Amino acid sequence: MSTEEIHDISMPITEADSSQTHGHDASLTATADDASSSSAATPQSTEGQASRQSNLQRIQQRKQQVYNWPHNKKLLKLAIYSACQTPECTCNGWKTPVPQQALKANQRADNQPLASFNDPCRNCNHVLEKHVTQLQGLPVAEVNRLLGAVVDVENIFMCMHREDDQDTKRVYYYLFKILRKCILTRSHPRIEGPLGQPPFERPSIAKAITNFVLYKFNTLSQREWQTMYDLAKMFLHCFNHWNFETPSVRKLQVSNPEDISAYQINYTRWLVFCHVPAFCDSLPHYETSLVFGRTLLRAVFKSVCKQLMDKCHLERDRMPPEKRVLVLTHFPRFLALLEEEIFSADSPIWDPEFKQNPPNHLQNILDNKTPIRRGEFERVTASGDSKDGFTTVSLSSGTINPIKQEGVKRGAESRSGCQPMSAAKRRRIGSDTGDDVCERTVADIVATITDPNYMCGPDALFQMQAPRDEAAKLEEQRKLIEFHVIGNSLTGAVNKQTMLWLIGLHNVFSHQLPEMTKEYISQLVFDPKHKTLALIKEGRPIGGICFRTFLSQGFSEIVFCAVTSNEQVKGYGTHLMNHLKDYHIRNNILHFLTFADEYAIGYFKKQGFSKDIKLPRAMYQGYIKDYEGATLMHCELNPRIVYTQFTSVVRRQKEIVKKLIDMRQKEVRKIHPGLTCFKEGVRSIPVECVPGVRETGWRPAAGARAHHDHDADADVATLRNVLHAVKNHAAAWPFLKPVDKADVPDYYDHIKYPMDLRTMGERLKSRYYVSKRLFIADMTRIFTNCRLYNSPDTDYYRCANTLEKYFHTKMKEAGLWDK
Amino acid sequence: MPLTADVAAQQVQERLRTLHRFIYDIEAERARNEQCIESILRAEKASESSPSNEDSSGTSQQQMQLKNLYKAGLTAAEQEERLLRAALLRIYEIRSIKNERRIQARHAGNKETIGCGALMKMLLSAAQTLPLHVGRVGERAPQLCGAVPADPGHIARAGDAVAALVRVSEKEENWILAEVVSWLPAQGKYEVDDIDEEQKNRHVLSKRRVVPLPLMRADPRTDEHALFPKGAVVMALYPQTTCFYRAIVNRLPASAADPYEVLFEDSSYADGYSPPERVAQRYVIAIKEGKGRAT
Repeated sequence: MSTEEIHDISMPITEADSSQTHGHDASLTATADDASSSSAATPQSTEGQASRQSNLQRIQQRKQQVYNWPHNKKLLKLAIYSACQTPECTCNGWKTPVPQQALKANQRADNQPLASFNDPCRNCNHVLEKHVTQLQGLPVAEVNRLLGAVVDVENIFMCMHREDDQDTKRVYYYLFKILRKCILTRSHPRIEGPLGQPPFERPSIAKAITNFVLYKFNTLSQREWQTMYDLAKMFLHCFNHWNFETPSVRKLQVSNPEDISAYQINYTRWLVFCHVPAFCDSLPHYETSLVFGRTLLRAVFKSVCKQLMDKCHLERDRMPPEKRVLVLTHFPRFLALLEEEIFSADSPIWDPEFKQNPPNHLQNILDNKTPIRRGEFERVTASGDSKDGFTTVSLSSGTINPIKQEGVKRGAESRSGCQPMSAAKRRRIGSDTGDDVCERTVADIVATITDPNYMCGPDALFQMQAPRDEAAKLEEQRKLIEFHVIGNSLTGAVNKQTMLWLIGLHNVFSHQLPEMTKEYISQLVFDPKHKTLALIKEGRPIGGICFRTFLSQGFSEIVFCAVTSNEQVKGYGTHLMNHLKDYHIRNNILHFLTFADEYAIGYFKKQGFSKDIKLPRAMYQGYIKDYEGATLMHCELNPRIVYTQFTSVVRRQKEIVKKLIDMRQKEVRKIHPGLTCFKEGVRSIPVECVPGVRETGWRPAAGARAHHDHDADADVATLRNVLHAVKNHAAAWPFLKPVDKADVPDYYDHIKYPMDLRTMGERLKSRYYVSKRLFIADMTRIFTNCRLYNSPDTDYYRCANTLEKYFHTKMKEAGLWDK
Repeated sequence: MPLTADVAAQQVQERLRTLHRFIYDIEAERARNEQCIESILRAEKASESSPSNEDSSGTSQQQMQLKNLYKAGLTAAEQEERLLRAALLRIYEIRSIKNERRIQARHAGNKETIGCGALMKMLLSAAQTLPLHVGRVGERAPQLCGAVPADPGHIARAGDAVAALVRVSEKEENWILAEVVSWLPAQGKYEVDDIDEEQKNRHVLSKRRVVPLPLMRADPRTDEHALFPKGAVVMALYPQTTCFYRAIVNRLPASAADPYEVLFEDSSYADGYSPPERVAQRYVIAIKEGKGRAT
């Protein structure tokens, strides 16, 4: 760097924003105040991790220093990046009039800027002051923000200068321009355009990996689970600090042009949103693992893994022994399992709706009740002087905002104690899922309903509606029954136990399926391509499902399915099928096909099979055995369901919803008088007309709204007008008040639901007529009662007819008649 | 009076409370009995160990004392028996309330359809909780206890479980498990419902096609004569079904809670009989000769 460049405010940028070339006479530099910072700001990786760290720190120090400058000095600095305010002047930044060696020396000596507010600009000849008038009144914070951006602009310029890769260089230049513009216009940087806005894919990598831990390790004990959780955090952390290889390097390894262009886009996004903002904090920063999804992870996973493991091996001698075990034994397995899910076509971890109840111990961790020793995995990577551009886990608390790091957030927060995790988590859930109930509430409810003393009401005495498979599940828990997938082999040795069980199964099948010949059953049960899920009780098979998997076709054919007769109706059949489903999901086969005979159709229907075959015929024709007179049935499995737990999960959910309703009921408790309209012959009323329904927060569904609006116009005033008119009609006299029993002794023997205009008036006053339907029903009741009790040749009968017509007319006039 | 779930639950609760009290009473009574027995033993020992001197007045006094102790012991034992029976009665009441509730719910037609598995469980528990006949000394087991058939004039009450011979197809008849709805004295016929609600329900059958199931279990230790002997040909409910088939008694229940072990006639097995199956006393009945063509 030439001495000329080591200028402070006198160092101008020569190019205008539009000018293409960079790196000519003046570069942006750090100041003479701190010569060392001139060489800072090169976070790009060549110096490795340790220096990255110190780079970040140096940048922060530098900024702090600039913030502490006297106000005038700040303005002089900003002038270089600020437009001249002289009318008509288009100059975009003050430039030092004449770069002079002498001045420079001087400056160094007294540490004072040479420029003054009266110095003319080399570009536009207006004095420097003209470049800063607009900054005079700005608050200190704003001035500092702009100065921070100036430091960042200078750093980006340095990076750009040093960068060899053309793609990367272009991105630096792009960011450089954006930042300059935002200083010029005193605005906040906004990155727009074809890159799109983060997040670029849903779910994020961090979310997917959290899902992965929940999905795969849910059944582990707390300690093991904690290990997996730590590994996941470690992985995410590495990923967030990973330096991605440039597209040009990648081209050497990958040949698919689509992959490369996709990678190029993601690489650019990463530079713009993740990498550069990490050291230029005037740009909005995002964590890689939060804004990218499956595509990027798939693209880089293999190389990330390889380098990670290489690194771990390199550093193993420096690790404490327990960490060595974690990293060298568990991590490879963790990565292998993760890889499976990343490249699997339909792994549930990528499901944006993924939800799995964490095990209890996990809940504690998520609720941050147990302290998490996050510091430990940082020690794992006491990083050396690696030259591979690989980022290790040496996170320093100063530079990374913990809030942004979802993957490691929990630990980070618990350690720095900045914010209780549960609060943050809940807030996030609240914003993500809208109306969802807070997890604490759910946890409380779960605690209640799992309490053995919890009573479910008086009918529990007579409860017989246990799930079909409950008894079988209980027996399995008590180890009274076992399930094994067994099969014959012609190449390998088959142990005696398996053989005996196969023979037992053969007996069960041949006994329960008398239509099949014993020979045919033998042919399939002992065929090595067929397997049988055996239900073993007291050491002997009492039922089983024989199936054949067609891996290439993605389905399994269910060949025989039977439970020995004296063990039927105990839920074994259902439990067998659920085990078979779980087994297939583990093996990534998601379709069952079977030819069901007349007696089996019912069973298969209960197990979720349908005669509606969703698989294309080509998938199975020629593979599955065809049976005459049997019905082909199909069952598609949902990999998100653990079928053996399905009923209990659903039941528990139901129980929770019931509790939530109870809780809500306690909150809004009000007893309304019951509805009488049904007694009076109304067939149905809109739900929202039931008093109190609205107060509970019930809203009509979107589809029902039209209907409801239609009815809402039954306002009291209109109805009162109609009722008034009817009352004043000449034919209304028989109906003005209730029939007096003294006058007509047997009236009430015949008329069960009397009605009259006075009663209607009272009901109207008490707001009973929440819909016009109720009003019409009462009125019609008056006429039908009359015609029921009186014969057609009476005056009463005629009055009823006349008044009814009049009523209809009045209702039509009021727009309340839609027939 | 309709027996709603709430009413039934209330009644059951009431019985349970009484039962709870009884258990304490029984415990107290048992302790008293124990004391009685202890003092009897002590007195007996004393009379034995006391040198058999000629003091006849002493002996007779001892005998008098013993006699009184025996009497007290007897009363205490009777009291305990009374309490035990009263407690048992409450249990049977609970059982019948539950049964009544089930029948009412079924007839109310509100279709709280009992699933197949639940039905089987219910049948098993109904057999396990069938009242046990605890006879007094010298008493013969009454009708419908264990293998003792109903008296010729016996009419089953509504709700009683029976085996009923119904026509299931053109040429096939089956003994099914059913329960009595009513007795039609004019025709001498029963109206019965198939216990399995999924089947065609109501049947009107002549008396000879209806065999009431035992109302009590017999205790093999006291009433072995009220059990079918080994080798007897019986009708037994095939496990996990609601149909009776011909079977041979292979082993008698060892205790009151034990089921029979029977071999069903089954031509699909080489020797014509199924492997041993366990069937509760309630579901093993005497074969009706003449029409025993069940397969």
